[in-house]
Amino acid sequence: MNVQFKKGVLELCVLVLTAKQDRYGYELVASISEKFHISEGTVYPLLRRLTQEGFFTTYLAESQEGPPRKYYQLTNRGRQYMNDLILEWRIFNRGVNEIIEEGLGYDKA
Amino acid sequence: MTRREFMDELNALLSALPDKERLDILADYTEHFLSGMNQGKTEHEIAEGLGSPKLVARELLAGYRIDQAQSTASVGNMTRAIVATISLGFFNLVFVLGPFLGLIGILMGLYAMTAALLVAPVGIFLDYGIPAPSQERLFLLFSSMVSVGLGGMLAIGLLRLTKWLYRQFLRYLQFNVKMIRGK
Repeated sequence: MNVQFKKGVLELCVLVLTAKQDRYGYELVASISEKFHISEGTVYPLLRRLTQEGFFTTYLAESQEGPPRKYYQLTNRGRQYMNDLILEWRIFNRGVNEIIEEGLGYDKA
Repeated sequence: MTRREFMDELNALLSALPDKERLDILADYTEHFLSGMNQGKTEHEIAEGLGSPKLVARELLAGYRIDQAQSTASVGNMTRAIVATISLGFFNLVFVLGPFLGLIGILMGLYAMTAALLVAPVGIFLDYGIPAPSQERLFLLFSSMVSVGLGGMLAIGLLRLTKWLYRQFLRYLQFNVKMIRGK
């Protein structure tokens, strides 16, 4: 998949994944790379940036299997930002789909 | 690549960061390795999934440099922010370095002009000495005052302009990084 596609969408994905429950890094990376291939290492710089911008707060919690994990919790600002992004994504998505359908439709006719 | 190799390389690449931040980042990746190994993955598989430490370090450094240039304005910080932004892609060589050099050129021209206005009267007196007839003397004195006055005002304006441009350029760098991330 095109690298330029992914970079913008990755941000939206981590925000949405944390909307219902707090998540730790590995969880986020794993659930995204289940759906499409990413350079998993770049999710952490992204999480750092979003935290610095006040969209996430983090806390450490013990885990049964191993060392404590850093959890990412969506802040109110983060939720607002996520909603904005979702709206933008829907408009963008619809636009691109329409262009594709119209384009290919005219080809066949 | 083993976990050790990945972590060592990343650690070396992040040597420019303050210890606290660097260790915090390394802890994130250590946690990632340990979680993956708990899921039964090998170190090699996990390292492969993470991708090149260089790419990771590049993303982290660009973010950090821009923060730095924002919190402490200095030529050094700005230069480091620019270098980090350029390293995100060759594309940027044109879009970051070009405007930056252009702005520097214009600023240098303006500074040179200001300096010339401030120094001009001295040059005139040195060349011609103080003329004898009083009318010429007055004219010379008057034009010197105009020249120095203009130079002074330009100098004040220029300092402000420089600060303003510094801030604007930082914003442009941020915009640029976002563009590259595909937003």
